[in-house]
Amino acid sequence: MSDIAHTSLYTETPRMKKRHAAEARFRAYGLTAIGIGLAMLIYLVFTIVSSGYNAFFQTRLTVEIPLSEEAITKAGKGVLKTSAYKKIIGASLREELARAGIETDMSDKEMVAIFSGKAAVELRTAVGTALKAELVSKGVEVPGELKDQEYDTVLSKKEFAELRPFLVENPQVLGSTVQFDFLAQSYVDGYMKGRITREIAERSKNISVAQLDLVDQMREAGILRKGFNTAFITGNDASEAYPEGAGYGPAILGSFAMMLVVAFLAITVGVAASIFLEEFAPKNKLTDLIEVNIANLAAVPSIVFGILGLAVFINYLGPLSGDDWLKNNSAFVGGLVLSLMTLPTIIIATRASLKAVPQSIRDAALGVGASKMQTVFHHVLPLAAPGILTGSIIGLAQALGESAPLLLVGLVLAQGAAAPESIGDFFGGPNTAMPAQIYQWSTRADPAFYERAWGGIIILLLFLVTMNAVAVILRRRFERRW
Amino acid sequence: MKDMIMTNEADVSTSKISAKGVQVYYGDTHAIKDVDVEIADKMVTAFIGPSGCGKSTFLRCINRMNDTIDVCRVEGDILIDGEDIYDKRVDPVQLRAKVGMVFQKPNPFPKSIYDNVAYGPKIHGLAKNKAELDEIVEKALRRGAIWEEVKDRLHAPGTGLSGGQQQRLCIARAVATEPEVLLMDEPCSALDPIATAQVEELIDELRQNYSVVIVTHSMQQAARVSQRTAFFHLGNLVEFGETGKIFTNPEDPRTESYITGRIG
Repeated sequence: MSDIAHTSLYTETPRMKKRHAAEARFRAYGLTAIGIGLAMLIYLVFTIVSSGYNAFFQTRLTVEIPLSEEAITKAGKGVLKTSAYKKIIGASLREELARAGIETDMSDKEMVAIFSGKAAVELRTAVGTALKAELVSKGVEVPGELKDQEYDTVLSKKEFAELRPFLVENPQVLGSTVQFDFLAQSYVDGYMKGRITREIAERSKNISVAQLDLVDQMREAGILRKGFNTAFITGNDASEAYPEGAGYGPAILGSFAMMLVVAFLAITVGVAASIFLEEFAPKNKLTDLIEVNIANLAAVPSIVFGILGLAVFINYLGPLSGDDWLKNNSAFVGGLVLSLMTLPTIIIATRASLKAVPQSIRDAALGVGASKMQTVFHHVLPLAAPGILTGSIIGLAQALGESAPLLLVGLVLAQGAAAPESIGDFFGGPNTAMPAQIYQWSTRADPAFYERAWGGIIILLLFLVTMNAVAVILRRRFERRW
Repeated sequence: MKDMIMTNEADVSTSKISAKGVQVYYGDTHAIKDVDVEIADKMVTAFIGPSGCGKSTFLRCINRMNDTIDVCRVEGDILIDGEDIYDKRVDPVQLRAKVGMVFQKPNPFPKSIYDNVAYGPKIHGLAKNKAELDEIVEKALRRGAIWEEVKDRLHAPGTGLSGGQQQRLCIARAVATEPEVLLMDEPCSALDPIATAQVEELIDELRQNYSVVIVTHSMQQAARVSQRTAFFHLGNLVEFGETGKIFTNPEDPRTESYITGRIG
């Protein structure tokens, strides 16, 4: 012991060396941990972005379509109307290629297969809509029972014989040439994005090497190109055979509807319950029991809330009340289920931030003669507000990213949902949510859907990042010191 | 000190608060044991005693702040102007408007200086309009001896003031509601000697209008500011009387031991 007293300050004692080594080791562990975490995060973000950004681009073909009276009359008359339109598309593309100086000996059928399977339907709908508009503009009574795309039959069907002259004499549509933007089929799109190679095409039934050669030529001629895909953000989901047209729009709207329900129900009920439990309720066995149960609820797997929603809202309350919103697939039920799931999170966060308000502030308010309620609402709540806001937004973000409970209340639609037409539809109609749509896409066979699933994740993450940024900004704004 | 005690004795006052047989329990702990005390109007009464002797607890009984502690139970009678404040008909909120309190740690609201003082009058409806409220705030800040320092920055946050200023702001806040009794729980324990002197001077002025009860750890402070002193020990009120007499000629041996520094 006496040695230590005589050692120089310039030399390290053995004990000091050990302590320094321990410190250095600990620092290294910490740096390693942070390094691993960061590397994983970067890898994750990189994977998501590199797999998903392609979903925001789509290959399209621009073709001039001459709308001849003869061809459209024939198409309207035929039994297989879409194949008639396919022929129109094929013939138009052949002319387009001739203009661009591209020679090909490909059959019409093969050529049309470069287009999306829905191209013919799209064209027919566009022609029908234009014909309808022409009839309306000429002041003709439009037969009500026809769908837009069925207006081509006006030219051929006997019952519309008196309407035909309006379209044929002084025609606006017939005889004109229109530039059409068609989606390319998903394998062509995949080729443009580098997903499909010639080796794959050799073995594939869906695409041939000859078609890819033509695609290359068309790309050089400017007939075919890759552009930004707004339809992915705004459009509806589509069937398994039509990945190039699948969009995320109704899923975004469905998630938004659910977030409205959760924000309204979970935040109001959660904050009110926490204020009561924390500030007003007596501390006894009953409130202890409630407290323990709330803490346990926060740990309940989310799918349990899904089955609860199925049993209570859809199977019991739905038939009992006859309410349109309390049924399978409705965003309102999804919102209720997510509210139940989020409630414990919000209550725990709110109670923690109420607890963090110092007792001295309560004493001060009570001391000048404020009532319990005035104390809470004038002093405690404003001071707890930043924490409550953060907790609520974290709860909302959690609800936004949840898919398991939605599986059970039917918010995963095999075909996706159509865009809602009314408020009732918005909350009560067949609906889906962003994570559920991602799940749905990831289960489909075509790799084009896989790419869309990643794209969906990017949009979902953008929403989450925005919400968290809002939480940070709000907390900064409301934060006060005491 | 002799001078001060002489002038103190010149005051003749009537009883404002009268406590009879007060017992306080915290759960199973018997914190205050059978305390009888008569607190005079327009006088400063000091409670002294070692830590944990129950003086703060007893103070908090006078405006029923102990109601906020679940395990706390009060027995016996505390009368203010002859009215039992623990009577079922008494609303503690109304009582606290009449009995103001200043706490050990300065605790201004995290709001502006103006709002700190205006809060009490606002919730009690003491001002009909903004002009009246301004007047009340100014009067209270003048009484808190802080007006000159803050009159140019009434809308600056109260929490931005120094410790001594914060405590005087809290005193101004307490007097803004025109209480009849002012309770002070070790108001100077967090302050430096200069701020302490300012607050003590203030207490002496407040005596003109209020009955002041002050809990203090400092015997010098009790001797300086009070006319009556009560000595608490282990939950008992050992001795209560004229400040001069307690400090110069105590009757109980425990009081003498405490003021001479042998216990406590």
